[in-house]
Amino acid sequence: MIPMLETRDLAAVYGGNRALAIPHLAVAAGELVGVVGANGAGKSTLVNSLLGWSRGRPRISGEVTLAGEALSHLPSFERVRKGLLLIPEGKLVFATMSVEDNLLAVGGQLLGDRRRAYALDDIYDLFPGLKERRGHLGAQLSGGERQMLGIARALRLGPRALLLDEPSIGLAPRLVATVLATVKQLAADGLAVLLVEQNVRAAIEVVDRLVLIERGSIVAQGPAGAMRDDPRIAEAYLGAHAT
Amino acid sequence: MNLAQQLINGIVLGHAYALIAIGWTVLLGVARLVNFGHGQMYMLGAFVTWYTVSRLGLPYLVAVPAAMLAGVAVGYVMQRVMLQLTLKQDLVSIMIVTLGFGYVLNGAAALVFGSTGQILETPLSRLDIYWGDLWLTWQDVALVVAAIVFFIVLKYVIDHTAVGRTARMVAEDPPLALLAGINVKKVYLGVFAFEGAAVALAAALVAPRTPILTSMGFDEVIVTFVVVVLGGIGSVLGSYFAGLALGLFTAFFGALVSPAYTTAAAFLVMIAMLVLRPGGFAAAPGSR
Ligand SMILES: Nc1ncnc2c1ncn2[C@@H]1O[C@H](COP(=O)(O)OP(=O)(O)OP(=O)(O)O)[C@@H](O)[C@H]1O
Ligand SMILES: [Mg+2]
Repeated sequence: MIPMLETRDLAAVYGGNRALAIPHLAVAAGELVGVVGANGAGKSTLVNSLLGWSRGRPRISGEVTLAGEALSHLPSFERVRKGLLLIPEGKLVFATMSVEDNLLAVGGQLLGDRRRAYALDDIYDLFPGLKERRGHLGAQLSGGERQMLGIARALRLGPRALLLDEPSIGLAPRLVATVLATVKQLAADGLAVLLVEQNVRAAIEVVDRLVLIERGSIVAQGPAGAMRDDPRIAEAYLGAHAT
Repeated sequence: MNLAQQLINGIVLGHAYALIAIGWTVLLGVARLVNFGHGQMYMLGAFVTWYTVSRLGLPYLVAVPAAMLAGVAVGYVMQRVMLQLTLKQDLVSIMIVTLGFGYVLNGAAALVFGSTGQILETPLSRLDIYWGDLWLTWQDVALVVAAIVFFIVLKYVIDHTAVGRTARMVAEDPPLALLAGINVKKVYLGVFAFEGAAVALAAALVAPRTPILTSMGFDEVIVTFVVVVLGGIGSVLGSYFAGLALGLFTAFFGALVSPAYTTAAAFLVMIAMLVLRPGGFAAAPGSR
């Protein structure tokens, strides 16, 4: 089986400091892979580097393939058009544009077969809250609504693989569950999903596989069930008495 | 002094100012860029129009798009040269590069068109309209109408079309625009090409009002600067009203006080505005 998203020797260097070194990582279509690790471990650097993208100026190297097609030589926006979508950490909506303009601004491109670009109505069916707030500016949205809008904008572009960087950050527990359930559903619909999460307890309930990153490297990975019992996960992230 | 005549002069002048400035407004709004070669691009537009009409003997309606095409070419080349500076948002270098580009344009134009003054005559600039003791030319009317149409179309494109939304995304957050699949470099090139076309259109319409020289451009860049700042940086509607206000101010100040001090007075007003209302006319958040 060809993985939907695959990377080899992915590395990122910030001014001489190696922030990331990943020999191999693959995500299959329909698979939801969680990425966890401490602050500064390199989780954001990993998902950003898959797109060759950053708000800083790292040197990024390595191979990235999407559905067997090499992307490494393409600029970020071309990788996006191929179906590799990132919902980044931090600022993820256009604050000076309305919700509807955020959504209308992208999508509508001609897509290859087996890719679904969500129409505006599909988006509003999936996120009724966004429909209600379609006229509001991005800046007026709550944290949860911003996450929805970020995901929605990615769906408009017909993703094959979705990279989410801490979509549950700052959300109330019930909203976390909603966001993660949405993510799970998108994977079940056939997308390859890489989910960066600080909230390991919530993430481990939905992911198929968990990857633990420390100092830019993968130090443990495995099926969610097995990783739950991994001492490095259990002690550091779930508390000593976690089940 | 005839107040009604000054009102007409001010309105015509105001629309001229707004039209001259609009390219820079969009440039600043979308790409956060400045272009101190703006005035010389205006000069080039005027001379290409003049050359096409007077030397090639082609109709004015051919000369206008020819000037705009030249503007697009110059704008594109300029941005191509400094694309890396743009991506880094290195404003100081961009200021110097564009200033230098202006001087190069200036020299090149003197070489090609000569350094004597010329009169750009159009079929409309000789057609006078008298209305009682009020006077204007059909060129003035064309200028005002073209400016209004241009601003309405531009405002519509920015607010309601795919091109406009793309520009607004790049204006707000270029890295995030990349993640939405937008070719940001292409947008930057496009915005500079637009700036070239817009200032050339302004030149083709406004330059027939006065004799033209290859050494001109300084007044135009100053006017642009005042309009852009007064209008609220990057705001299309703000620029329209700022241009109009500056035109009326110039006309009335020139008539009531003295034309010699108009520029100084305009700057005083600008400074006062900046202190009292730092966002310009369009100080409302998110307006453009
Ligand atoms: N713009 C930058 N300039 C320099 N170093 C950076 C930059 N961005 C990240 N780094 C470094 O790269 C390393 C990985 O950072 P990264 O943001 O990927 O961590 P993270 O796992 O996403 O952390 P968090 O959980 O806080 O989001 C850190 O050591 C950080 O200091
Ligand atoms: Mg991070």
